[in-house]
Amino acid sequence: MHKLSLFVDQSSLIYKIDPISKMMYAMIAFLTPYILPHITAAIAITALSFSLLLIGRVFRHIVPILGVSLLLILSIVIVQGLFYPDNATPLFQVMGLTFYQEGSEHALLLTLRVLNMLAACGVLILTTPPDVIINSLMRLGMSPRVGYVLLSVLNIIPHMRATMARITEAQKARGVELEGNLKTRLKSFFFLMGPVILSSLNQTRERALALELRGFNAHAPRTFASASGAYPLYKISRVCVVILLLLVVSWRLYL
Amino acid sequence: MSIIQVENLKYQYPSAEHLALNNLTFTINQGEFIGIAGANKAGKTSLCMALCGLIPHFFKGAYGGNVLVNDKPVRDTPLNNLTDLTGLVLDHPFTQLSGAKNTVFGEIAFGLENKGVPRKLMLERIEEVLHLLHISELRNKHPFTLSGGEMQRVAIASALALKPDILLLDEPTSQLDAARTTEVFRMLANLADQGTTLIIAEYNIEKMALHCHRILLLNTGSAIDFNTPRWVFSRPDLNEHGIVPPLITRLAKSLHIKRDDGLYPVETREFNALGGFVDA
Amino acid sequence: MPDITVKNVQFYFPGNVEALHAVDLHLPPVPTAIVGENGAGKTTFAKLLKRLLKPSQGKILLNGGPIDRLSTTQIAAHIGLVFQNPDHQIFKNRVRDEVMFGPLQIGLSKKKAYEAASQALKRVGLAESSEENPYDLALSERKLVGVASILAMDTDVIILDEPTIGQDERGKQLITSVVRELSEEGKLVLCILHDMNLVADMCERTIVFHHGRVFLDGETNWVFSHEEVLNQAAIEPPQVMQVARQLGIKHAVTEQALLNELAKLKIKC
Repeated sequence: MHKLSLFVDQSSLIYKIDPISKMMYAMIAFLTPYILPHITAAIAITALSFSLLLIGRVFRHIVPILGVSLLLILSIVIVQGLFYPDNATPLFQVMGLTFYQEGSEHALLLTLRVLNMLAACGVLILTTPPDVIINSLMRLGMSPRVGYVLLSVLNIIPHMRATMARITEAQKARGVELEGNLKTRLKSFFFLMGPVILSSLNQTRERALALELRGFNAHAPRTFASASGAYPLYKISRVCVVILLLLVVSWRLYL
Repeated sequence: MSIIQVENLKYQYPSAEHLALNNLTFTINQGEFIGIAGANKAGKTSLCMALCGLIPHFFKGAYGGNVLVNDKPVRDTPLNNLTDLTGLVLDHPFTQLSGAKNTVFGEIAFGLENKGVPRKLMLERIEEVLHLLHISELRNKHPFTLSGGEMQRVAIASALALKPDILLLDEPTSQLDAARTTEVFRMLANLADQGTTLIIAEYNIEKMALHCHRILLLNTGSAIDFNTPRWVFSRPDLNEHGIVPPLITRLAKSLHIKRDDGLYPVETREFNALGGFVDA
Repeated sequence: MPDITVKNVQFYFPGNVEALHAVDLHLPPVPTAIVGENGAGKTTFAKLLKRLLKPSQGKILLNGGPIDRLSTTQIAAHIGLVFQNPDHQIFKNRVRDEVMFGPLQIGLSKKKAYEAASQALKRVGLAESSEENPYDLALSERKLVGVASILAMDTDVIILDEPTIGQDERGKQLITSVVRELSEEGKLVLCILHDMNLVADMCERTIVFHHGRVFLDGETNWVFSHEEVLNQAAIEPPQVMQVARQLGIKHAVTEQALLNELAKLKIKC
């Protein structure tokens, strides 16, 4: 069965925290390296996110996500190390190219920001199903239309992947060679895109009908199937998040 | 008490060459279980869309005549108010999933949340339809991972949970095996007994003959007949409308077993009573 | 004469409900129905035959040779599979191109493929739609396009997965007659069906799957006479048999047989 979102279905401490607190945490973590443009701060907050992931027992699920960002990080290091405008102090040389200390330090900060962002998002996304996140935003007053669009976007990739897998099969059944060299695979990929796009276009209108019939445009105040008070750690986690925010801000003021 | 009145309804899709619905006039009473029979392109789906207001609110095109639901003309009633009254299950189960929910439970809740049904009542209704459609064990599954037959049952459950006065179903059992189909028809018949008006477009003539109170026979958008299953399936010209009568009726015709009113029976008990094959 | 042998085939992967356990079958060219409740393993079985899935254990032989030695294209040239959902296979914007795709893929010349496509479309009654966009057709017609695109490949083995879903009476009759013709041509036709009336109508042999195992296998009449066993596999006997039983008639699988029995009873009265 295909995995349909990044959410990891298990239970640990982090799962008991409500989505809004996690969202607030992610936001604060996001902003910290900008509020405190200090490498120590970036390291601290990234380390905090990683420890939360460890406590939440989802650390190994963040690794592939970090892996994907490796290319980005590598390019940051190269570009900044070589071409940062304030570069003055040479650090080391590789194949005749000189890396500078200023640029490398800047690259380190940028890299930390990327890692921090991913880890903070991970705390939220790996431990909260997407519909729960959106639902809690809608409770806070986000428009249901925006909520729907966000959710269907989150569902688009798994949906496309599932459709692709089915169509790949159907193509193979008619003799399309899907294994083999890159050229044949590219060619068959081209064959595949057709039906994927056609069938999703075809489905869009019917889905719009179905949504309409299920009161998607109803004016009544919306209700929610999930309970609002289902998170026992709700109060404590809010307090922790606020303390964290105060810490970051006061550090900044102290500086 | 009539709940739906259709008067000279005509409809043509934009850019179509022929009328999809051609001068239909009939009345449906509350609590009736109506079957719509006809070949492909007879107008079954279009009629369902016209009864729930998707025609003319969603599909534009040429519209004539009138459809009244609870004495209110569909044409002048906002779709939102109509959906409080009518539910529709479409024939393609996949496109009826909202695409925004991660579990079957959430999927069924979707319509109820939109309509602002209080949470406690919502949970009761969801449990009720999960049970009615025998899909309790699917509650935590992702809707995209279901089989066609499972999706079809979720789609019916989602519509039922909204407790519409009128439920329209377009080929709701096409992907179900025989045992499941029997279950769904029995459940629908029960709902009709409790006062829900049901309108079902189906190819399953056998089940319609057993459960529907009246059959609306369509051919290329026109109503050929609207009467009891016995009456409609006794018609000598059924074949011209792309319909084969139920087995019992076919047997009765071959054996010349008729009722006093000249109609052929559609179900086994009556057939047996008339033919005297085995002691009842 | 096409012929498939399935030797002790097992299939499973984590989380898949449609696993198969120790399936042993010999499939000579007799029109054969594969039946079973939703999730019994029917579609998985079809995909194994077509090598879209690989058995976890066991062997599948086509005409005596193991199919794992054949390339995708070679398998496609021998075994045709019509999918349950036509939208998973249609990708051309003209019906004719769609139907020509398979024949071209297995090496027919353009001219031959064109002829094969015309012939196949005629057979399913869609000759007039050959220039249309498949997505402008009704679902039932798209389904027939799917059937035509396999017919055009003229394979020895044809597997149809729920071909009659969404078809009206005319469509069902059309598919029934196509299946009969193909069998008469000596091809091996396998139909996954949930309409037992059609099974009784068009298949000589019926294989019942239940929880991933072959539960019953034999001549269709014989299979349907095991009512209690069928009950366990959640299979309702065909309408004719149900009516026959209600009227106290023991052996009648076809409508004609039932009619004959009833006519005798009627005279006695």
